[in-house]
Amino acid sequence: MSVRAELKYKIMKDYGAPAIMALQDIKKRKKRPVPEAFGPPLESNKRLKEILSRHYFLSRYVSGVKKVAWVTSGAPVELLRAFDFYTIYPENHSALVGAKKQGGDYCGIAEGSGFSQDICSYARIDLGHMLSGKTPAGKLPKPDLLFCSNNICQTVLYWYKAIAHELNIPLIHFDAPFVTTEQTEADVNYMAQQLQDMIPILERVSGRVFYLEIFEEILKRSMETSKTWGAILDAMKAQPAPMTIFDAFGHLAPIVSLRGLPVAQDYYHILMDEVDNRVTQGIGAISDEKYRLIWDNIAIWYKVRFLATFFAERKMNFVTATYTNAWAETTGHLNVKDPWKSMAKTYGQIILNNNLKHRLGLMTKMIKTYAVDGMVMHSTRSCKPYSVGQFDLRKAITADLDLPAVILDADIADERVWSEQQIHTRLEAFCETLEGS
Amino acid sequence: MNLSIPERSEYLKILSDSDQKIMGVLPALYPRELLWAFDLHAAEIWDPPGDILHANAHLQTTICPVVKKSLEFILKEPDVINTGYLFPHTCDSLQNLGTQVKDLIGVSLPVYTFYNPKGSFNNTTTKYYREILQNFQSMLEVSYGTLDSEKLQAACLLGHRIDSRLMDIQEARQTDRLLLGNQEYFQLMRAQEYLLPKDYMSLLEQVEILDQPSEGAKARILVSGILPPSPQILDFLDKLGVSIVADDLLAGSRRLPKFPMDPPDSPLDYLTDRFFILPPCSTRGGDLDERLHQLNKRSKSSKAQGVLFDLVKFCEPELFDHRLLVKTLREQKIPVLTLETELDSHLSGQDKTRIEAFIELLFEMVPR
Repeated sequence: MSVRAELKYKIMKDYGAPAIMALQDIKKRKKRPVPEAFGPPLESNKRLKEILSRHYFLSRYVSGVKKVAWVTSGAPVELLRAFDFYTIYPENHSALVGAKKQGGDYCGIAEGSGFSQDICSYARIDLGHMLSGKTPAGKLPKPDLLFCSNNICQTVLYWYKAIAHELNIPLIHFDAPFVTTEQTEADVNYMAQQLQDMIPILERVSGRVFYLEIFEEILKRSMETSKTWGAILDAMKAQPAPMTIFDAFGHLAPIVSLRGLPVAQDYYHILMDEVDNRVTQGIGAISDEKYRLIWDNIAIWYKVRFLATFFAERKMNFVTATYTNAWAETTGHLNVKDPWKSMAKTYGQIILNNNLKHRLGLMTKMIKTYAVDGMVMHSTRSCKPYSVGQFDLRKAITADLDLPAVILDADIADERVWSEQQIHTRLEAFCETLEGS
Repeated sequence: MNLSIPERSEYLKILSDSDQKIMGVLPALYPRELLWAFDLHAAEIWDPPGDILHANAHLQTTICPVVKKSLEFILKEPDVINTGYLFPHTCDSLQNLGTQVKDLIGVSLPVYTFYNPKGSFNNTTTKYYREILQNFQSMLEVSYGTLDSEKLQAACLLGHRIDSRLMDIQEARQTDRLLLGNQEYFQLMRAQEYLLPKDYMSLLEQVEILDQPSEGAKARILVSGILPPSPQILDFLDKLGVSIVADDLLAGSRRLPKFPMDPPDSPLDYLTDRFFILPPCSTRGGDLDERLHQLNKRSKSSKAQGVLFDLVKFCEPELFDHRLLVKTLREQKIPVLTLETELDSHLSGQDKTRIEAFIELLFEMVPR
């Protein structure tokens, strides 16, 4: 570790970052007017932006101070935290690029270098970033380590293999067997052992020793944070719901990418308080919530504002989503007294690593408990584990619950595949059905 | 050489009519010997013929044709599959298709799954794979009674003989000691997808391996991808005097151990070892350097002048590896051609022209 780099990092952390955040705040004082269809925006948005901007800003100065790991959203990051890795989430970064409607440009860079346009757009954006250095976050640190788990898809393994080869850095893969009926003892033991096998590699890469007590503390914090996130989502059962799911797509970032850190834990307490307060006061995320919807699949990042407005203007609010729920659903399995096996159960059973019978049951339960009137499914060409099966899920749900539903063909971050006309027609037809039901 | 290879559907019909228990098995890796030991015949479903019609109601347009064609076949509930379906864990789409068929669509036959570990392998993975085999055995025992250990031993011995013979045939192919055109060679390779193992072994024994190399082809290529090129492409290559001397196909040599194994002693240990000495494969998350090394090794030993990548549309595992493989081969000045297939029988004029241009380039090259 370089003393100069450490000093620079400390100065940036203590003075640079706060100064930049203050400057940004002044710049953004001229607020965009909130459309009438929406209720008052969440105050926590400001804090969320600060946290995320700070995280990306400080990452520019982390080289030589901390080891950097690029991590997938479903990987058991708590273990890396015990070695003080600075973590960057390429999926989160790709979503950011997508939200800025720049996904097509980054994908184009990857495609130009030989990657197929038929592979996941998160991967293409990340590979485009890796090959060009381009990023809306200013600059991202090069990784010392890659950490992925196929509990969200096999794609991340292919994708991280490509990065590992290009940058010649180690890749740790956490193999999570797909749950076809239920996890077996062999599955749990296999995953638990893999986690323990990682320790010597992580010690070597990070230059730090593993302490169980520190790890347990992180695990406890992570558990508590996920629980709070789950409680925030639960608060959306209130009518009117205090947030829209489009808000939750944004507020999801800390639980995905800063899980296990005090900053995430503290942040969700702030958000929880605000959401609770809104529920008590009957403040809704949209001005007149008449219909309540469920969203299935990852967000369409470049159309979040459009979709939020489209539905809010029709008095429709998304109150729950399978996507946002994923970081709360299985954390009940975490147990500090049995860290390895409990992590295997938590990370091995998340929605995308679980069978469709489980997903159908979960969606049915969410529809009932959140008093949902209609369902919007995003069929994304980028994510096979999320999308394969959706047609039959829709059929089963509409038949069992007599629920209007629509499937939107789009992509998570490559705006070039968006078909305005087709989506508009489908959405209008869906709204008509819902309003007439 | 004229090999008498039974036609797939007719052969399976005869078996089914004779009360042979037949399980439909989807791509790609599974412990076939365990099925054989329960007297279950594995009929593999990779690219059944016919248009995709009903499967479109269940799957998006961006799903690969191997998955779609498999579902189309399953939806027809064909009589020849009379025992159930096995979905080995191969990729995201097949993973979901297994649960979709079992839990949402519903078929009259049981659906089984088999997990293949992913990534880099170590002792933890080996131990786990052995447990997967044991669990799979126990699952089959529920339906088919206690496993006869002698039958499993015999099945492993037969599997070992088939592997050994296939290795000899592959080696002969690489060194021009096989009098088979491309079409016939791949018919032979693919016959293992549906013939009873004893019938397949008999077929392999009929293949004549020459002592000395025959007159070499005008050009020599290696194919990489999931399935062998379509019969139309193989026929076209035959006409051009081009020989596919080696392959890196999931339905081909990636299912055959990298090197000869000792005959099985303990069946489950043998099956475990066999899984871990298969060549690197995109669907197992295999190491890219190792795959490149294997590709280069095969290419050199077969004196292939160029590599033909025949990719299945929307096949993510292959599409990710493909870029690096092509880049590296080009850096090594090895000509490469990439075709993309939707598994239809049509060979487009454009593909024909591209193949011709590629082959002309090889004709001009001095053999390596």
